[in-house]
Amino acid sequence: MTVLIEVEHLVAHYGERCILDDVSFTVHEGEILVILGASGSGKSTLLKHMVGLLRPTAGTVRYHGQDLIHMEEEERAALLRRVGISFQSGGLFNSLTLADNIALPLREHGGFDEATIQALVRMKLSLVGLADAGHLLPEELSGGMKKRAGVARALALDPEILFFDEPSAGLDPITAAGLDQMILSLRRLLGLTLVVITHELTSIYTLADRALMLDQGKVIFLGSLAEVPRSTHPRVRQFFQRQPPARAVAATS
Amino acid sequence: MAQLPHDPPVAPAAAQYVERVAPEACLRVRGELSSAAGAELYRAVQALLAERPSEVRLDLAAVPRMDSLGGAWLVRVADVLRQAGVPWRIVAASGQVQDFLQLIRPTLETPPPPPPRRPGFFETLGEAGFAALEEARDLVELAVDTIYWGILAPLGGRGLRWGTLIEELTAIGVRAVFIVVMMNLLMGLVIALLAAAQLRQFGAEIFVADLVGIAFARELAPMMTAIIVAARSGSAIAAELATMVVQEEIDALKSMGFNPAQFLVVPKFWAAVLALPALTLLAMFAGTLGGMELGVLVLGISPQAWLRQTLAAVTLGYVLHGLLKSVVFGATIVFVGCHNGLRVRGGAQGVGRATTRAVVMDVVLLIILDMCFALLYEFVG
Repeated sequence: MTVLIEVEHLVAHYGERCILDDVSFTVHEGEILVILGASGSGKSTLLKHMVGLLRPTAGTVRYHGQDLIHMEEEERAALLRRVGISFQSGGLFNSLTLADNIALPLREHGGFDEATIQALVRMKLSLVGLADAGHLLPEELSGGMKKRAGVARALALDPEILFFDEPSAGLDPITAAGLDQMILSLRRLLGLTLVVITHELTSIYTLADRALMLDQGKVIFLGSLAEVPRSTHPRVRQFFQRQPPARAVAATS
Repeated sequence: MAQLPHDPPVAPAAAQYVERVAPEACLRVRGELSSAAGAELYRAVQALLAERPSEVRLDLAAVPRMDSLGGAWLVRVADVLRQAGVPWRIVAASGQVQDFLQLIRPTLETPPPPPPRRPGFFETLGEAGFAALEEARDLVELAVDTIYWGILAPLGGRGLRWGTLIEELTAIGVRAVFIVVMMNLLMGLVIALLAAAQLRQFGAEIFVADLVGIAFARELAPMMTAIIVAARSGSAIAAELATMVVQEEIDALKSMGFNPAQFLVVPKFWAAVLALPALTLLAMFAGTLGGMELGVLVLGISPQAWLRQTLAAVTLGYVLHGLLKSVVFGATIVFVGCHNGLRVRGGAQGVGRATTRAVVMDVVLLIILDMCFALLYEFVG
């Protein structure tokens, strides 16, 4: 399997607080890697470092062996055009219609003529099941639709890797399951590599080829789901068995 | 390679990827279906349509891969064929191409959504009229709520929120003192300079004191102060309330059984109504002082003479007129700020729009109100 991203000894701080502590792992081409962990364990921070939105205190992130951190600004921009990110709350521009949101990266980076852009926009919208919603503004959409639209925009430039921050957070189980199915079919049809951040157990079981679990900035589990039962780390066991933390158990009993 | 029977509308450079399988209306694509092949296919289909075929077939057996750009060209091909009313189908796609086609099939099969209808002239006019009516109703509602919660409810023993009132007084009043004094001081100097240049021709420099004193008591101090407060606090009020609406804080307040007017508008209302006359009084002194500075330093009039002249010219009536006006201005600034803030639509951009609108509306209303006061004073006394 080809290695697409290598994260090596990543250390990150917000001020004095250490958020990521020596995180190392790889992402293989064509796999779905799920990053999981409790709230505040550093998942979103890790994602922001992987796409170069934040600079780490130490360590590197490499795409196809190229160092993202120490890259020239233009080189990095070119590299990031092959990376799609679907933000937690969509990250859509509120002043643009859905169609214009998706057309924006195509107009800026693509050099396509308008008719081609319109056709591409229609294709991307129908990929995520929003074929009729192109003329709507983000504020007119429901939460699930916003997430889908965010995915459509992330897919605009045909990325080879898609980062997905909390696809099912704040969605009902039916919509969330629909989104998970959409992610799977996108991977099958477009051959995408996906890095998905989530803490929904159902999503994890549906999506993950491999899982990475963070706890207080440290990697406490990395491997396929089949290897989970063999983990001896108490946090991993708690997470997958949905047990409350030890202190809360004592308080309620 | 088969020749195209008709000249296509756009002459293809050379048929590299697309081959006509005569005599049927069948086009065979070879090689990867991407930007170049897609464009060629599109032109070939257009050319083919000139023959009025009963059905068009696209043979993709020799296409190993396709990508989004190829897909986009296929979508355009589908649109052209649909418009021409010619049935068509894709034959012999396999592997990745078939998967991709399956993915984009809904787009190939549905026409592009019609552009949203533009409303006609009367529709736009009517909509604007209804919007204005609705806005007027909102404004009246806000005023009624504020008067109820700001005046009647406290009289009935339901207290004001004193802590917030003090905070707002500091924000709207105290923090504005320096800039109000500075601006009016400079304004007084400028007005005196302007008047002196004219009155000097008649040797009537001492009347500059009258002019500056009266102008500041009646017009300039209330107006300058109100404009400064509108820029400082009117915008801040609109932005604050708009952000609270966007972040659902107003809904949270309502759900807890609070009236947003009671909670947010009333303290600001009282703060502005109290702070504006106080600031205006300071502004009157500052303006007079600025005029005196020029009188003493440039015109050579003694400070005592200037003061005596000013006190003789400026009656209590002028000062009260100015102060009353400032009270109305203060209430206006708060109402306009809150009203625009609470009506915000959309996200970050909406907040910006609400703030701009509040300040513009403030300035326009202040000048109209000022004119009303001037007319009232002239004709009613």
